[in-house]
Amino acid sequence: MALKKPNSTTQVKLDLDQLMAKNGLKPWKKKSLRAQESRDAYLLITPLMILTFVFILFPMVSNFVYSFTDWRGFGALNWIGFDNFRTMFQDERFWQSIKNTLILLLFIPMGVFIPLCLAALLRGGLKGWKFFRAVIYLPQILGYVILGMIFNLFLRSNGPLNSLLEMVGLQSWALDWLNRPLLALLSLGTVYSVILRIGFGTIYLLAAMGGVDEHLYEAARVDGAGWWTRFWHITLPSIRFNIEFLVVMSVIENVARAFSFIYTFSRGGPGYSTHTLEYSLYTLGFTNGRIGHASAWSVILFFICAAIAIMQIRLMRWNDG
Amino acid sequence: MDKSLKFYTYLVLILFAIVSIYPLFHVFITSFKQVDEYIENRVFPPAKWVLDNYRVGIEQGHLLSYFWNNAILIPAAMLFYLFVCVAAGFAFGRLRFRLRLPLFLATLFLMIFPQMLLSLQIFQICNKLYLTDTYLGVVLVWTAYFAPFGTYIMATYFSSIPYEIIESARVDGASTWRILTQIATPMALPMLGFLVIIGFQSMWNELPFSLLLLQSMEKRTVTLGIAMIQGQYGIPDPTRAAVIVVASFIPILVFLFFQKYITTGTFAGSLKG
Repeated sequence: MALKKPNSTTQVKLDLDQLMAKNGLKPWKKKSLRAQESRDAYLLITPLMILTFVFILFPMVSNFVYSFTDWRGFGALNWIGFDNFRTMFQDERFWQSIKNTLILLLFIPMGVFIPLCLAALLRGGLKGWKFFRAVIYLPQILGYVILGMIFNLFLRSNGPLNSLLEMVGLQSWALDWLNRPLLALLSLGTVYSVILRIGFGTIYLLAAMGGVDEHLYEAARVDGAGWWTRFWHITLPSIRFNIEFLVVMSVIENVARAFSFIYTFSRGGPGYSTHTLEYSLYTLGFTNGRIGHASAWSVILFFICAAIAIMQIRLMRWNDG
Repeated sequence: MDKSLKFYTYLVLILFAIVSIYPLFHVFITSFKQVDEYIENRVFPPAKWVLDNYRVGIEQGHLLSYFWNNAILIPAAMLFYLFVCVAAGFAFGRLRFRLRLPLFLATLFLMIFPQMLLSLQIFQICNKLYLTDTYLGVVLVWTAYFAPFGTYIMATYFSSIPYEIIESARVDGASTWRILTQIATPMALPMLGFLVIIGFQSMWNELPFSLLLLQSMEKRTVTLGIAMIQGQYGIPDPTRAAVIVVASFIPILVFLFFQKYITTGTFAGSLKG
């Protein structure tokens, strides 16, 4: 965890004792200073805690409560036990949205591998890199809503990609990228989980590689190790944590951050074919109004996200040694 | 680096630059194309550059009023966001209290959950508190959702300030409030700039919460407004392209101004954990 522990307590105490003595303060004042510090701390985190409680924690708990009711946004709460879960597990759309989410995850290795290669190539420094960096990063800045619109326009059956393919004589490759169920999902994966990951991934990994001790490379070069050997035996092991972190980030983007992009890229369609579990919550809760039912789906997504979060926090701690 | 490797590196870079920039470029040239011409010519720059799409898009899409809404909403949300992040970040990063680590970890843990998971319930809570369709509601929900990450960044930063500085100020009789406003925050100014950029990006591009909270059309943000335009049928593609370009204007401006901040790995570094 990046939050540094206070210097060892004895050290701090010593400093404080000296400081207090210097200023002619009696030791008993120390306790009240400490108490004051703790009171102030709680006061300072109060705004964050209230917001988190009302708008994050409480909604999460409510999800669990509503998942056992047939609540539709008005009237009394009817307890219906596990009925919502039973219907959910029998619902084909539920399994499809799970399947879609999993298929999107299959694109992650590519979305990490390409930035890794780019970063490795760029490690040595290159003329004009600053320009490329800006260009590669630019899409990141626009936000998923705009990016969804751009790639939607780009991939339409009568759009520029197909025109380009026809122009170079690949008519048979000019497919209806967004309107055939499986193809739409693959397009989503390629764009969202690979192309849109390149900018951040490359810059992140490059920054990580910059932190590797240059002496290692020199020693290896003296030993006659080639570019590939150095990459495999020095670079990769040194940035292992960063790669793992990037993978976890990509998983989060796929499972928990894709709504805005899908909303403008494909609207979850055709049919249900680009609905992830997250996107389904929107369709279910807001276009059908069956809040109790949607809450059951939320509970499943909650557990998936909780598992990822625990993974992430453990990864960060492990890195801390 | 030897010559052939250099050559391939450039080749690969150019390829990826094209992949990542070409769709944007296409949208840009399309936005200046007449609707009729786009049917014939989808790929090449327009034979005749026209501004009609912008006129139609801005007028019929009510884009100017959306920009105006953002100009009111985002600074307000930003101030509140900064206040919450700096206060909590300082407490977590530089003050000692018993629940420090558990509360901090809990906040980090809650960061990951998707907006949609919370939205259904947030919508109901806001309904009860009369916050739907108000900017106050959006400000509160945005801050609640985005502040944990900002707090994490600030806490990381504040924890790097030497303890001695703070302790000696305290012994000199400075209150925590004075230490925060007159010592710690001025030291953290570069980080605050970074926090503003992150906050701006998350808020400007935010969709799920504003989609659910802002029901009336007059209150829509730019992002929400164009997302709704995307859902309408019968809008010619060049007009859509113009809308996209207009909406991208501010984020690109921010990018150009703060490029160094955003791409040099300051950004990446702060996410390292």
